Amino acid sequence: MITMLMRQVDYQLRLLLRNPRGLWVSLLAPGLILALRLGHGGAQAGPVADRAAVIAGLAAFGLIATCYLTHAIGLVTARETGVLRRWRASPLPRWGYFTGRITATVLLSLVSGAIIIAVGAGLGGVHIAAGTVPALLIIFVLGGVAWAALGTAVTALIGSAESANPVLMFSYLPVILLSGALGAIGEPKWLSTAMSYLPGQPVITSATHALAYSGSGLAPVSVRDLAVLAGWTVIGLAVSVRFFRWDPVRPAHARRAEAGGVAAPARAGTAA
Amino acid sequence: MNAIEVEHLTRRFGDLAAVRDVSFGVPAGQVVAVLGPNGAGKTTLIEILEGFQAPSSGRVRVLGTDPRAGGRAGQAWRARIGMVLQSTSLDRQLTVGEAVRLYGSLFARPMPVREVLDLIGLARETGTRIGALSGGQQRRVDLGLAMIGRPEVLFLDEPTTGLDPQARRGLWAVIQQLAATGTTVLMTTHYLDEAQRLANRVIVLGDGQLTADATPDQLRARGGTPVIRLPLPAGTRAGDLPAELASHVDADRGELSLPSADLTADLATLVAWARSSDVDLTGLEVGSPSLEDAYLTLTGSTS
Repeated sequence: MITMLMRQVDYQLRLLLRNPRGLWVSLLAPGLILALRLGHGGAQAGPVADRAAVIAGLAAFGLIATCYLTHAIGLVTARETGVLRRWRASPLPRWGYFTGRITATVLLSLVSGAIIIAVGAGLGGVHIAAGTVPALLIIFVLGGVAWAALGTAVTALIGSAESANPVLMFSYLPVILLSGALGAIGEPKWLSTAMSYLPGQPVITSATHALAYSGSGLAPVSVRDLAVLAGWTVIGLAVSVRFFRWDPVRPAHARRAEAGGVAAPARAGTAA
Repeated sequence: MNAIEVEHLTRRFGDLAAVRDVSFGVPAGQVVAVLGPNGAGKTTLIEILEGFQAPSSGRVRVLGTDPRAGGRAGQAWRARIGMVLQSTSLDRQLTVGEAVRLYGSLFARPMPVREVLDLIGLARETGTRIGALSGGQQRRVDLGLAMIGRPEVLFLDEPTTGLDPQARRGLWAVIQQLAATGTTVLMTTHYLDEAQRLANRVIVLGDGQLTADATPDQLRARGGTPVIRLPLPAGTRAGDLPAELASHVDADRGELSLPSADLTADLATLVAWARSSDVDLTGLEVGSPSLEDAYLTLTGSTS
């Protein structure tokens, strides 16, 4: 089973690395903003906590873009091209495909997150203590898994590759921006409270605290933030198990032709 | 026990039935072609056998298992089945070798990768990305992935649609080799020559119902009257023939194709015309109707 999972992770990593447009977007956009905000040494004059917040926000911005956008678009494309149907027809357990795909996506998002943090720490003059690394890993892995689970779930709402971007951007950008990825939003208070229950802000605030940590031991991680992310992971997985579609929605004329001149159901298969 | 059992299968979409009360069995090792016009229910039938759709009523078993079985039973069943889906469904970023190795790793006793690549004629393209292959080559990769697990039953849904004649014949050769090893094959196709070449049994669907189930030769024999065929010599036009023959000339093929209820009389007319016009009768044939003629008769279509 371990060998099977490793093969799946290797396969998915190959696909991601050979089609790196999504990864460049998740690296380039936060990288450019990072350079603008922390470049020229100007930002180094402010408190460390502020600089840590900028770096954490942009690292989370990139990480979540990979785990949510790139992952969901990849799934929709695989569904549209029949690749998912082929896997469904194979002896591979269905959970094996998703475990491999999500693991590969999270691994790659950790690399892009590490690059953003390393560049940001250099530009912003933020010292990263060794004790912060486990905390960052925990929060980014759990955040990545939560967003990938939600990305899997949201593909049930996406009818075609063309409609993937609008649906995903509409659900991703408001959450990530209002969560403080590009700067803290303190007011109105109710909005900040609401955001703390969505899966963006816990990643950003926990990563900010970890980056600003200057103690000698391990940086602490907020149990509340972890619980929120775990909750969204469960929701994402539950919705995926119930509503995930392995087959594309076929246009009406094709359904009529395939079903002997009558309309077939729009949804040809679920994860069940 | 039959490898495939279909009993009173019906698949409804709303009020209308795409497949209606279809029953048949396929013994192990048989190659069966499912024919029928567009919308006859071929793809619905094969998708039910593959487990992608559920029957509305009736019973389906493939290798003794319900294709909709889940869990470990479904997983074990899928390890004994191979499928070529209606459209190519490959990761374009993988190389041919990577794809074959990856799928082979899913099976307990896969064919050696090299053997599969040789069989599908892509040994030299092992390191080529699938997206860079031609349509025919991609279809051969599809077939390679379907066969690498040594399937006991192979489903082929229009495997050669859209391929050029050379690519089609290449795929035919691979399917024939698989059939020779005892694999049960059930294929849908629009090509009558494909069915004639590959299948030892033909099932014809029309409007969701089974309208014929026979060997290709039996089907041809049911197609009605024998046919006189003569390729017209160069320079001979339909109008040069006697009126009763001229109406049976297929101008596109340049061939006389005459269904004959009275062979003696019709041949006499033809020979008399050939003698008087000094026409060479090389290529003259008298035989059963072609599978295409039989098929068109069965499905009520006209050529």
